[in-house]
Amino acid sequence: MNLNNQENIKKNSRPPKKEPSPMEVRQRERFVGKSARVAAKYLRRLTELKGAPQAMKPFFQVLEDIHVNMKNVEQPTDTKIVGTYCVMVPQELIYAAGAQPVKLCSGSYSAFAIGDDLVPRDACPLVKSVMGFQAMGVMPVYEDCSLMVVPITCDCKKKMAGMLAERVPTYSLHVPTSKSDDDDMEQVVSEFYQLIPALEAVTGQAITCDSLARSIDGMGFAQYQMSQFAAYKKHVPALIQGTHAMALMNAFSYMPVDRFSEQLHRLNQELGRRQKEKQFVSMDKQPRIMVTGSPIIFPNIKIPLLIEEMGGILVGDETCMGERALYDPTVVVDQSFDGLLRSLANRYTRPCTCPTFVDNSQRIYRIKQMIADHQVQGVVYHVLRGCLVYDFEYQTLEEELGQLGIPVIRVESDYNEEDIEQLRIRIEAFIELIKLKDLAIKKQKQEKANE
Amino acid sequence: MKLKKYLTPVVVLICVGLAALAYFAYNLVFYDYGAGASSFSLSDQVVDTPLFSMQFLWAMTPFLIIIALSILCILLCLWLRKRIIKKDPVMGRFVSERTGLSGTAAVTGQRKFGFMTIRWLIMIGSFLALIYGGKLLGQWYSNLTIPIFACPYNQQQLIGSSCYYLAHLSSLFALAWQDIAIFFVSLMVSLVVLGRLICGFLCPMGLLQDLAHAMRQGLKIEGLSLNEKLYSRLKPIKWTMLLLFLGMSFVGGNFCNFCPALTVSPAFAGFRVSVFLSGFMMILVLVSGFFKRRFFCNICPLGYLMGLFHRISLFKIKKDCQSCTECGACYEACPMGIKEIYTEREKTDVTTADCIMCGACIDKCPENNALSMSFGGIKFYRASRKTFMSGHRKTEKKLIRRIRKREKNEPEQSRKH
Repeated sequence: MNLNNQENIKKNSRPPKKEPSPMEVRQRERFVGKSARVAAKYLRRLTELKGAPQAMKPFFQVLEDIHVNMKNVEQPTDTKIVGTYCVMVPQELIYAAGAQPVKLCSGSYSAFAIGDDLVPRDACPLVKSVMGFQAMGVMPVYEDCSLMVVPITCDCKKKMAGMLAERVPTYSLHVPTSKSDDDDMEQVVSEFYQLIPALEAVTGQAITCDSLARSIDGMGFAQYQMSQFAAYKKHVPALIQGTHAMALMNAFSYMPVDRFSEQLHRLNQELGRRQKEKQFVSMDKQPRIMVTGSPIIFPNIKIPLLIEEMGGILVGDETCMGERALYDPTVVVDQSFDGLLRSLANRYTRPCTCPTFVDNSQRIYRIKQMIADHQVQGVVYHVLRGCLVYDFEYQTLEEELGQLGIPVIRVESDYNEEDIEQLRIRIEAFIELIKLKDLAIKKQKQEKANE
Repeated sequence: MKLKKYLTPVVVLICVGLAALAYFAYNLVFYDYGAGASSFSLSDQVVDTPLFSMQFLWAMTPFLIIIALSILCILLCLWLRKRIIKKDPVMGRFVSERTGLSGTAAVTGQRKFGFMTIRWLIMIGSFLALIYGGKLLGQWYSNLTIPIFACPYNQQQLIGSSCYYLAHLSSLFALAWQDIAIFFVSLMVSLVVLGRLICGFLCPMGLLQDLAHAMRQGLKIEGLSLNEKLYSRLKPIKWTMLLLFLGMSFVGGNFCNFCPALTVSPAFAGFRVSVFLSGFMMILVLVSGFFKRRFFCNICPLGYLMGLFHRISLFKIKKDCQSCTECGACYEACPMGIKEIYTEREKTDVTTADCIMCGACIDKCPENNALSMSFGGIKFYRASRKTFMSGHRKTEKKLIRRIRKREKNEPEQSRKH
């Protein structure tokens, strides 16, 4: 056994549960009601947004079950649940151990209000929200976790891991600060080796070469469906609203991967039919917008909703709760156990465009490629208040996109609805700007044609 | 940590040792047929040896001994590794997974047939052609050469292997000037037209190493993954090999007695050639090729010499720097450890002197058009996500069948209720 692991996981550290006072019981009831109401409201706005495919219903249902009905992830009763944060936790390893991974990064406004008192003022709302849920102890997805795996991607996540460890068994996964050296990658491989005993301890099931190969194929199939979905998303005019695509990726956090791939397959079939019947959700003139920056997590989907309600069309997103989670496939070069782990370490670290890495110029290239692929006309740069690492990268992106002539808008927001009107005005103005620009370009072209 | 300290002296020692061994290669006999009338040296004419006759099998003896010894060495290495892993405080618990042969399931989601299948067919074809082609073509005296390790071609035939004269420069310069001119012109033509594609597609030594690698993949035995530091340590060894290759003839040595390729093609062609140090070298090549794909190509002097002319070669690896996500899959797949291929962000031409044009990087690249192989500017093989993930199509078909079945059953069930 590795000594490190025993240090990393504080077992039985959960304090014995006291009987809650009547006051606390009432507070919890109020909290549940409030957070369910907010989630239901945003879910309604999602479904009311025009052009939701029939096959999206199971995904909406999952979001409703988790956030409104306060249910747990649908799984066989004896399956253990392992909570994960960020996109750097190898889900394949968790499936290989026979557990069900759940992404616990949260976007809840009501939990944010609770967490505001628990963590420093300048901490990011995501961490506040997670700690809020943790303190209230009402969400089954958080309560039933046998283990939480927290990658140390930023200062907030690091301190969050420490606070979580006081309440639940927590494993902190080290993420290198840079990935240019081969040594860094070897470190990630050894980190994954050390994670294995922790996961095996949860389920009592050993991770073998076979189970790992099967889980890589399982995730690979979801990625294959996702690549087809991405191909449909490139279609002009759009076949599906971007907010729906983001909701889909949020639902992935709470779904067993096989069920997700099956539903996504149905959605792809429906999008294929739409393409044949020329049934589009956008018009030619609608400004095509892309979102990048801090994660956008249900129910905090006000920004994509605003973009599409204001007449834009969200064609792509470069966020960690969006496409990035399933974009990069695991490339297996060597079929041995060590080879599989190396390929996982590669897939979760090298192509990851998380700003936690010292040199992250590859994110600029990725965004540029997405702009070319999706014919993007404007970029909305989303920054959560306190999310410094994303804020740092705004300037370089603005410069680079300025050279391409793509307008960028930086939108800072928090987990509440107070800034919604201000955001609406800014996004509306941004969309108008793109429309005017588009018109001017068309006029120029016409003049040239006339000459 | 300790290992790193000793790395440089070890590399220096290996280089000096190689040079010393190469010089005295003639004295280190691996297998000697004796000086009887039944032995054929390479300078003899092509003999009409029927395949699988006694004489053919006799000629194969040293090669079969090499194979048997290599397997023994590999088993020894595996046993040693098992012991080392068992004692490791972190890795000890993974000993059964990392050293056992229990695994049967393999990752199936990636493409199975494609460009790589074509490459295998070409390699097997060229192996046969290079060994038996001489018999079919007959003999003419000529100095047209291609740079490849194929000893039977060093007969006086239409096409020869230039490795002989490159390793015996002193005897090349003793030839008439017309012969020297033909030699260099034909060498340059093959360098321009083929370049190091010869290494990836045509070389018989490459086929043997790839077979060893494929065997390891089939058995799911863990390999040896080199990192950039270890790759850079191989460079001095490569230069020493090049120096030996070009310079041995001037100091009275014979590179052929040291060259591992000597044990392959003559044996298959039915020549009985006494094998000196090259037999021991071949064991090293096979064992290292088993654990690390194409290890010998990393220190091959002839290949490196060809690589130096990669700028004028028509085959090129091209990269679209914007669509690359730096996922490093190409670097992991590359048997030559070329890191530039995924870190490069400016040049579109990512061919280097080390590239053997095996196409493994393009095969494993999941981004559309990010990597491609071109001939004279025409891209004929591109990376594509759709074909990369084509192994999942089977799973998709299964899923469609399952959905249909369920939909058929559902209405019946609802009627029952």
